[in-house]
Amino acid sequence: MDGTHMKEGFRQAMAWLHTWAGLIFGWLLFAIFLTGTLSYFKDEISHWTQPEVQARPLDDGRSLAVAQAYLQQQAPTAARWIITLPNSRDPGLSVMWQDKVDPGKRGNFIQKVLDPVSGQAVQARESMGGEFFYRFHFQLQMPYPWGRWLSTFAAMVMLVALITGIITHKKIFKDFFTFRPRKGQRSWLDGHNAVGVLVLPFHLMITYSSLVIFMSMVMPAPIVASYGNDSRAFFNEVFPATDNAPALGQPGTLLPLLPMYEQARAQWAGGHVGRLVVNNPSDANASVNVVRAGADRVVHDFGSTVSFNGSTGERLRVSAEQSLPAAIGGSFYGLHMGRFAGPVLRWLYFICGLAGTAMIGTGLVIWLGKRQLKHAKTGGMPFELRLVEVLNIASMSGLLIAIAAFFWANRLLPVSFAQRADWEVQMFFIAWGLSLLHAMLRRGRQAWVEQLSVGALLFGAIPALNALTTSHHLGVSLATGDWAMAGFDLTCLGSGGFLAWAAWKMHHRTAPQPKAERARALTLKPEAH
Amino acid sequence: MLLAWLMCYVGFTALCLSTDRHHGELLRSKPSPRRRLGLRAVGGGALTLSIWPAVAASGWAQGLVEWCAVLMLSALLLVLLLPYWPRLALSLAGVGLLAGPVAAFATL
Repeated sequence: MDGTHMKEGFRQAMAWLHTWAGLIFGWLLFAIFLTGTLSYFKDEISHWTQPEVQARPLDDGRSLAVAQAYLQQQAPTAARWIITLPNSRDPGLSVMWQDKVDPGKRGNFIQKVLDPVSGQAVQARESMGGEFFYRFHFQLQMPYPWGRWLSTFAAMVMLVALITGIITHKKIFKDFFTFRPRKGQRSWLDGHNAVGVLVLPFHLMITYSSLVIFMSMVMPAPIVASYGNDSRAFFNEVFPATDNAPALGQPGTLLPLLPMYEQARAQWAGGHVGRLVVNNPSDANASVNVVRAGADRVVHDFGSTVSFNGSTGERLRVSAEQSLPAAIGGSFYGLHMGRFAGPVLRWLYFICGLAGTAMIGTGLVIWLGKRQLKHAKTGGMPFELRLVEVLNIASMSGLLIAIAAFFWANRLLPVSFAQRADWEVQMFFIAWGLSLLHAMLRRGRQAWVEQLSVGALLFGAIPALNALTTSHHLGVSLATGDWAMAGFDLTCLGSGGFLAWAAWKMHHRTAPQPKAERARALTLKPEAH
Repeated sequence: MLLAWLMCYVGFTALCLSTDRHHGELLRSKPSPRRRLGLRAVGGGALTLSIWPAVAASGWAQGLVEWCAVLMLSALLLVLLLPYWPRLALSLAGVGLLAGPVAAFATL
């Protein structure tokens, strides 16, 4: 066998792997990528889904005083307080406390969201908000640990599909700037290649970093090898535990938290505080851990903390600089999550995520389109192709409808409805299931057009829905500078417009391709997909 | 980030014009070998140098992430503009060439 043959054989093997790994996991990866992309706006989505929590001008000093006064009154004898400060993305001042615990047992956490100005607990509607999409994108609504295993496996397949894709689509670097619209299969392939290769660094980063994040779960071997069976030691090293002094049993008075907050910020050269953890607040041995905000730096540091004695104010400990392994792990974590990103960079992250989603979606469309061409004359379609078609429709346009249904449920379910947060999630899955049913009952193109139209309506009407059900419509949110609320409405409007355009395109697609075009499309085969 | 973005966009446009196919589509002629080389040099140079304003504005860690983002998305923008609005794609690069020095003065 000479070299060219061997090369071609290798390329064909890679093409086969790319085609089938991409198909089998494509539907799942599409959902993971889209919900993961939404998670870049997790806080903004949560803000929209809990409109009762109003955005106030940020003032950490006032927030701290308010939180301390509230906790002193509501939970003076708690074992622990956790205060999470509002920021420009998440306006709620969250306080959490843990009841006194019997040794060996964990006390329950109670969480309240306070208004940072009035200090009153806000009666916000129950909703998972952005947390739902974030959790879904790696737990897939499956019982622990199966969802994580499945999404980790999907990430590995994604990495394989990316690498085999680079080998398979050999012309991507030569055709770097090429996108030819309105040419049927050729355009889909161009689009697939363009969003694939132009945003390739992001795809590789996001896929590889997801594997690093899951490493401890999927591949415990390296941890076991270096730390023995004491994986606790590994986590203590990566997430420095805050081993504070135990309670003395003598009553004490907690000092105001603001000076400790200021000292910590000075320690970090102006870095921001994410949350404060107060242990044994009513004890003489109270301790205060001031934890740095994750949004401060690209390299995520899980345990950047300054600890104080709560009743003397004495600074006890400053967490050490990150070790090199922790910094490497932290940089993958930080890059994946993008918490450090300001508004502009966050939008760029979002667009990159959409490009990844589009790459997967176009890949699925190409797989089917190529095989459908062979059956174009007879009009019939074998079962397996019909199956792929139905799954393509339900996994793409169906998922979009499900996401919109979640937001509609958030506004339409009564605020006092029992277990409404669960019902929002149920509506998501009910809508998704219905779209699967619909895709099975309708012919391919009609199903696409109808579902995209429904999606366009649902998304496009969200600003109106918000205006009718809350007092935070665009006129108010834009005027008060509540950009998270306004941005959500406007993005939904934009998504609705995009889906309407897609439905229109699909409806007016030139139905039968001219003969010459079809013949040419069939000869595209050498570049496998 | 704006200056880095402008430089990336100009760089990719130059690289794009250095290919026979795109030069033909956009300017209706084949580039001479000298021009092709020149465009490549300009393109590669602009892309490489665009790291500098990004890092100067936001430091190494954040700057490199921002640079990667504008690098990827300026190319994506160019590729999406080319088939639909080729004139706009080229004029944007022209605007970038003109506005680049202004942005440089403003930010650095």
